[in-house]
Amino acid sequence: MSDQIPLRVTVIGASDAGCAIALKAQAAGHRVTLVDEHPQTMGQMSFDAPWFYGAALPAALMNANAVAQVVLEANPGIFACSEAGVDVRVGTIAWGAFQNGPNSRHIGVPKVGLVSAEGNELLDHDVLILAPGVRDFVPSFRGADLPGVFGVKAGVAFLDLYQCYEGKRTLVLGTSSRAVDFVRRAIARGVEIVGMVEPGTAFAAGDAARDEMAALGVPVHYASALLAAEGKVAVTAARICDLSGGAEMAVDCDSLCLAIGVLPNIEIPAAMGCRMRFDAGVGSWLPKTDAAGRTSLENVFWLSSFANGGADPKVVLEAMAEGGAMGDVQPAPQAASDQGAYLRSWIDALYASGGGAVTLCKCESVTRDDFLGLAPPTYLHGGLRHPQSPVTGPEGTGPRVHQDLLKRMTRVGMGHCQGKRCRDEAALLLSLRFGIGLEAIRPGSYRFPVRPVDLSLIATAEPAGLRWSYWLHDPEPVLE
Amino acid sequence: METFDLIVVGAGIVGLSTAWRARKAGARVLVLDKGATAYEASSRATGLLSLCGASPLEAPLAQEAEKLWDRLDEDLGYPTEWSQKGRLWVAITPAELDELKVTFQTFQRTYDDFELVDAQTCRSIVPPLTPDTLGGLYTRRSGNANPQRTSQAFAWAFQDLGGEIREHTPVLEILAEGGKVKGVRTPQGEVHAASVVVCAGAHAAPLLAPLGLEFPVAPVRFDAFVTTPLPPLFEAALVVHGLAVRQTLRGNIHLNGGPHEWVEAGVANDMPKPVTPLVRNIAKRLIEVFPSLRSAQMLRSWSGILDVTPDQATVVHPFDTPSGLIACSSAGHGFGMAPSLSVALSDLALHGKTDMPVAALTLDRFGKLPKDWRRAWNWQAGNYNT
Repeated sequence: MSDQIPLRVTVIGASDAGCAIALKAQAAGHRVTLVDEHPQTMGQMSFDAPWFYGAALPAALMNANAVAQVVLEANPGIFACSEAGVDVRVGTIAWGAFQNGPNSRHIGVPKVGLVSAEGNELLDHDVLILAPGVRDFVPSFRGADLPGVFGVKAGVAFLDLYQCYEGKRTLVLGTSSRAVDFVRRAIARGVEIVGMVEPGTAFAAGDAARDEMAALGVPVHYASALLAAEGKVAVTAARICDLSGGAEMAVDCDSLCLAIGVLPNIEIPAAMGCRMRFDAGVGSWLPKTDAAGRTSLENVFWLSSFANGGADPKVVLEAMAEGGAMGDVQPAPQAASDQGAYLRSWIDALYASGGGAVTLCKCESVTRDDFLGLAPPTYLHGGLRHPQSPVTGPEGTGPRVHQDLLKRMTRVGMGHCQGKRCRDEAALLLSLRFGIGLEAIRPGSYRFPVRPVDLSLIATAEPAGLRWSYWLHDPEPVLE
Repeated sequence: METFDLIVVGAGIVGLSTAWRARKAGARVLVLDKGATAYEASSRATGLLSLCGASPLEAPLAQEAEKLWDRLDEDLGYPTEWSQKGRLWVAITPAELDELKVTFQTFQRTYDDFELVDAQTCRSIVPPLTPDTLGGLYTRRSGNANPQRTSQAFAWAFQDLGGEIREHTPVLEILAEGGKVKGVRTPQGEVHAASVVVCAGAHAAPLLAPLGLEFPVAPVRFDAFVTTPLPPLFEAALVVHGLAVRQTLRGNIHLNGGPHEWVEAGVANDMPKPVTPLVRNIAKRLIEVFPSLRSAQMLRSWSGILDVTPDQATVVHPFDTPSGLIACSSAGHGFGMAPSLSVALSDLALHGKTDMPVAALTLDRFGKLPKDWRRAWNWQAGNYNT
């Protein structure tokens, strides 16, 4: 492929890794397009993907032009790319990616489907770099749908990206380094942090961070879990409980930041058919990549701090010029992470203290118990003739649980957030309840579009050669 | 050596319903699938029962299915979301209207409860239809259900009776000896049975070929999608503007359509089912039919592989040699037919005969099919049906 300079390179995600490789590739003479979904429309923000904004979107976000300006200024990477001549598309969703394969031979040049408020287009590329960043991991608890509850990425965005943070007294769930980072930013903007909640007995981000939080006057509730966010129309308090004795206390607050962890956005590579692996450290399925970020699909790269350290842009650039897919023998070094165990400890604590009646799936209003028991959705007003188990496979011969089965039967993961809020907790609950490792739970299929998209924006007239007149067939030769 | 009365190859809706019937009749039944339950055509189905008015071969079997659908929830003990709320074909161009009139005449040879209706009637049955609606063809009969829930209902009902489904266990070979079927070979070894019913969709052709048996079926890839849930808009299922559409009980608009792409099937592997940019074109047609859906969202799209026979009608074929081997293709509309098709397949497997009207559905009708029919008709992998 090296003779094909300039290559058409599409980079999805103006993350640090995305901007770095976009700049590097542009400097090397390639034709680079950088796509990022931010700033999102309020409609897109209401789907809580990739960041969990929750039910309270500050009114300041309604001024789309002002928001766009603020967002661009807040990302120096985008600015640098734009200056360098990269074709920067912000406020643009890469809803799907397509290439020829065994059962799809008409794609031609590989392409990405882009959609923005202006409409949609298919953009051809020689190389696709996926650097789509992370999304919030949000656990379920009572009152999770109250205005004032948000994920840590959304919280940081409210504070620094959109500069419209409305909380005055915030309780933080988790003591991870993300939680600590949020606390620093919030306090810098004059927000009072009324406490941090930690199910374990040690501060997850380490002793230095613990001491820093103590110096800032932030109390930490150890061996505790959140029972409920309380309030009639918005959060006015949080009820937490002691996991050893069960003693409960109310914490006065107007906002709740869920800072347990973040997970990589994997929906595009997963839906494209990249080979995936379960990473116990991260607590997520990830595309298999080599150290240069190559996936199992030709000329498709996936860059993430969770997998290949964001891969050195120089190495990625060389690999782009070489072309091809990852070999069988060069997996990327595993990123050291104990997030998987941390997420598990949180879900364990919330399940043990909150019980099965808590709503797991916010879109479809399904409780944890109804999910684990495969109960039909409430609109069917009926139960099951016999109790059924989601465990369909024996040990050792493949997936033991298919989350698609649970999706289809309970609708958990079928709602407008496309499972982004619940799918990972759902897998953890299955793992805890049935004693099955997450690697033996086949995750629900990811589907395009990776965000819900307005039909009016995505609708496109078929080209003349692809007109069809009937479902399923045009008249075919008659047998005689 | 494990021995069963019946091995069903394929855990789609046809295989699962056949297994359930046979188990209910007392047989020891094993279902094998290369992947998970209802992962091929059964996951892509729109969920409509067609009365097959255009196909005199199949219409009797469709009518039997219709009767059985009405009591299926009760029989299975699990909800299928079946509702018999009629079916409407809608024309929004003069050419489509002319075609509907021809279709009506064809249907009249089989049924007397279809009627041509005017645009106003169409829009009273399905209020969000475009003002461009010119007329339609309507029947109060027919209905729709949730295809994934229905497949699983059959699976659970079968397992409640002690039936066994082995997922991720491909059948690599059908075994025959002395003119009789003997069982199957899987990666875990041989399993024997007096009867084998192949309900493997497009995979039937490569499975049967090593026995010297030609099974004329061509697989196609088809795209589908659902919108975000909407308030209840209509109850009848529709065929309109090259789309098959229903609104689910949850409120999503669920539709299929587009040109389909001919593909190839192997024996052992899950077939990739890539979604293509065709969903953009399907979306365009949808809002041409329902202008008010412009502001709804495409929530999820997926694609499936289904099997089409040369005359697009169901095949039920008990082979003379080896005896005990039966193969089935439901030609892209197995969902609606499964309740009666499964009676026929179970009867044939256990008793060698059935009262269900399937005698005309054997492979014998393809005697004059040219050997290279797929090539001759452009039904080869890589072509669209346009």
